Amino acid sequence: MLRYAFRLHRWGLVGFATIMVLSPYFQAGAFAQSAGTTAGQRAAFAHEMSALAVQLSYLLPAPYRVDTLAGYVQWRAWGTLSVVISVWAVAAAAAAVRGDEEKQLVDSWLAARVSRPRLVASRLTSFGAAALVAVVAASLATVLSAARSEPVSVAGVSGKALALWLLIVTLFALCSLVAQLTPSLRGAQAAGAGLVVVLYLCDIVARSQHSFDGLSWVSPFKWYDATDAMAPGGRLGVPGVGLSVATILAAGGLTALAFARRDLRGPLFSLPIQAATRDVPPFPALAWPVARLLYRQRWTLAVWTLITALVAVFMVTLAHGTVESLLSLPGMRAFLTHGSSDPYQGFIATFWFGTAELLIAGFAVHLVSGWATDDTEGILAAVLSTPRHRWAVIAERAGTAVVGITVVVAVGSLAAAITSASLGTSLDAAGVFRASWPLIPFALTFAAAGAVASTRWPRAAIGVLGVLAFASFMTADLPPLMNWPGWVADLSVFQLYGTPLLTGVFWNGLWAMLAIVAAGFGAATLLMQQREVGS
Amino acid sequence: MRLDEAAAVRTNRLTRDYGAGRGLFDLDIEVGAGEVFGYLGPNGAGKTTTIRLLMGLARPTRGSASIFGLDCQSQAVEVKRHVGYVAGEPPQFGALRGRDVIAYLGAMAGGVDQAYVKQLSERLELDLSRRFREYSTGNKKKLVLVVAFMHRPRLLILDEPTSGLDPLNQQEFYVMVREAQQDGATVFLSSHVLSEVEHICDRVGIIRSGHLVKVASLEDLHQIRMHRVEIEFARDVPVEAIRRAVGVDGVTVENYRVRCVVRGSFEPLMGALGGAHVVNLSSHEPSLEEAFLAYYSGAEKEEVASPC
Repeated sequence: MLRYAFRLHRWGLVGFATIMVLSPYFQAGAFAQSAGTTAGQRAAFAHEMSALAVQLSYLLPAPYRVDTLAGYVQWRAWGTLSVVISVWAVAAAAAAVRGDEEKQLVDSWLAARVSRPRLVASRLTSFGAAALVAVVAASLATVLSAARSEPVSVAGVSGKALALWLLIVTLFALCSLVAQLTPSLRGAQAAGAGLVVVLYLCDIVARSQHSFDGLSWVSPFKWYDATDAMAPGGRLGVPGVGLSVATILAAGGLTALAFARRDLRGPLFSLPIQAATRDVPPFPALAWPVARLLYRQRWTLAVWTLITALVAVFMVTLAHGTVESLLSLPGMRAFLTHGSSDPYQGFIATFWFGTAELLIAGFAVHLVSGWATDDTEGILAAVLSTPRHRWAVIAERAGTAVVGITVVVAVGSLAAAITSASLGTSLDAAGVFRASWPLIPFALTFAAAGAVASTRWPRAAIGVLGVLAFASFMTADLPPLMNWPGWVADLSVFQLYGTPLLTGVFWNGLWAMLAIVAAGFGAATLLMQQREVGS
Repeated sequence: MRLDEAAAVRTNRLTRDYGAGRGLFDLDIEVGAGEVFGYLGPNGAGKTTTIRLLMGLARPTRGSASIFGLDCQSQAVEVKRHVGYVAGEPPQFGALRGRDVIAYLGAMAGGVDQAYVKQLSERLELDLSRRFREYSTGNKKKLVLVVAFMHRPRLLILDEPTSGLDPLNQQEFYVMVREAQQDGATVFLSSHVLSEVEHICDRVGIIRSGHLVKVASLEDLHQIRMHRVEIEFARDVPVEAIRRAVGVDGVTVENYRVRCVVRGSFEPLMGALGGAHVVNLSSHEPSLEEAFLAYYSGAEKEEVASPC
C-alpha cells in the first residue's frame, strides 16, 4: 500500500526534485560570478540585493547574510522553493484525495480491507517520503555546488531542509483536509490553491508591513521563513518547526475523521438531492463554440478572476504603504523610479505586474489542465464522435484561452487601477492599459505550449508545461547573474513581456510571443489531426 | 455511389497492428443497411479497436473502412452526421448535469429532438437533473445511450451498450434497438454475451485475437451456444438416455447428480429425462471465451469432463 502510494507520486517527485536541484545549483554559481571576493565587493552586493528584495518581497523572504554564499542561496534559491513546492503540494493532495477516488482506486483499497485512517496515513507518509527525497536532493545540490567556491555548513543546510520538508508536508496535509469538502478533483485543486494563496498572502503582507507580523504566524510559509539556519549565524526556527508538526498531526487527524464521515466521491457536507425533473431546457451557452467550453470551465475562470482581483487590490494597497515608507529612506527614491519619474509606477510595475504574470500564467496552465483532463476522461472522444473537425477542437481551445485570459487580465487590471485611484496614487489608466494587454499574448504562449503538450502527452501535459514555465522563469533570471549572453534571457517569455508600464510595450517581444502562440496552436492542430483518441 | 445504396458498414482488410500480435488484422465485413449486426468476441479480441477505427478515433495500419460509402478516415466528419455512438467506457463529465451533457453534445451533433430526448430518458428512467458524477454506473450508461439515440442516426455503433444496465433496462434497450431498426436504422453492436446478440441481432461477426473467425447466422450461433447443466435426481438416473440425447456432451455422474454440456436446444435433454424424478436442475451459460475454446479447439470434452 505504502509502496504503491509512493509510486503514485513518482512523476511529481521527478519534476519538482529537478526544479529543487537546479535552483540552488544555478544560484550558487550566480553568487560566485556576481558577488565578488573582497569584503567591500560583498558588502556592496549585499546592499544591492537588499534593495532588490524590497521589490521582490512578494516572491522572496527578507534576505539574511546575503554577503555569504550560504545566505544568498538560502534567500534566492530556497526562498523561491516555498512557492514552487506549494504547487506540488496542492496538485498531489488533490490527486491523492479526489483523483484516486475518481479513478476508483480508493474503492479497491477499501475493498482490500485497508481502513480509512490507514489510507490517510499511508498517503501522508508516502508523500512525506517523496518530499524527503526531493529535499535531500536539493540539499545535496546546494552542498555540492557550494563546495566549488565557498563551502556551506551541512548542519545549516539540514536545518533549512527540515523546514522546507515540514512546509511541503504541512501544505499537503492542509490541502488534503480541504479536499474533503469538495467532491471533484478540480474542486480540490481550486480549494487547495485558494487556501495556499491565502496562507501565502498572510506571510508576504508582513514582509513589507511589520504591523502584520502577528497575522503572518498563521501561515506555514512564515514558519518556513523563520528558519535561516543555512546562513552563518542563522538558526532553526523551533516555534515554526513545532507549529508545522502540530499542524501536520492535526490536519492528518481531521482528514481521517472527515474521510470516515463522508461517502466516496461525495463532499463532507452536502445538500439534500433536489426533486427529479426530466425537462431538458435548451441551454444557450452550451450550444455556442467557445462559450460552451468556458461554461464547462466557469468555476476555474471565476476563481482565477476573483483571486487576481483580490491580489491586485492587496498588492496595490501594499505598494502604496511600502513606497511611502521607502521614500523616507535616503537613496531609495532614485532606486524606485528606475528612470521613471514616479516611484509608484516603478514599484507597481514590478510588484503587481510581476505577480500578475505569474497569476495569468497559472490560469493558462489551469485551462490546459482542463483540456488534458477532457482527453484522459473520454470527453474528447465523445466530442469527436459528433460531426466536429479535429482542427475545430484546437481552435475552440484557443478561443477559450483568448476570452478567458482577457477576462482575468481585464478584471485584475481594473481592480488595480480602481484601487490605485482610490488611494490617490498616480497610476494612470493609459499606463495600466499599456502594461495589461501584453499580458494576454504572454499568457497565450503558455496556453499554446499547453495545447501542444495536452495534445501530444495528455497525461503528462501539466508536468511538461510546468517544467517549461520554470525553465522560462529561470532563463529570465539567471543570465545577468551567471554572465550568460544577453540573448539567452530573450528566450524567456517573462523577458518577452518586458516592463511595459515603465518602458513601453516591448514590440519585438510581443511579435515573438505572437509567433510562439501561432506556432503552438498550429502544431497542436497538426498533432490532433494525426493522433489517435481514446487509446 | 449514392449514400442510400451503399452498405452501412464495409471494411477492407482493415488492420490496426499494435505489435506483439495485438490489434486487429485484415478485417473484411459488410453490414447491410437496416441490419442489426452483432460483433461478438471475448475481452481483448479487438471489438473496441474495430469500433474506434470505424469512428475515426484510431488510425488503421492498413486497409480501409467506410460507412454509407464514406471513408471513415478522410470523411470522418461527414460519417458522424449519420452515426450515434456509445463508447465502451462512458466519458466522465464530472459536475455537468445530465441535461447539460445532452445540450453540450446535442449542439455538436445537431438535429436533436428534445421531445424524443424526454421520451428516451423516461423510458430508461433516467433523471437528467442529476450531476454526472452522482450517477451510478448504469445511469451513466443510460445517459450515453440517450446521447447515441437522440438525433435518430441512420447507424448506431454501440460498444457493449448493456454492460452495467439492469435486466429491465436491458429489455427496454432491446426494444429501442428494434424500433430503430423498424425506422430504417442500422445497428452495429459489440458484446461478449452470446445470449444478448441472439436476442436482437440478425447476423453476428465473431472475432478472436484480432481476427474475424466467422460471420454467423442465428442458426450458427445456436451451435456455438452451450450451457453447463447440473441435474439432481431423487433416485434412478437415466444416464444412457441422457448420453444419447442430441447436443448433450461431457456427461459425468456422481451418485444421483449428473453434469453435462448442452449445445443448442434443450428439447433432446428434456426428452431424455422422461418420467425421471428430478429434484433440482440448474443451468448456466459459460463465458464467451469458454464457449469459443470449446467450439474451436475441439477439446471441449476433456475440459468439460473435468470436475467443476
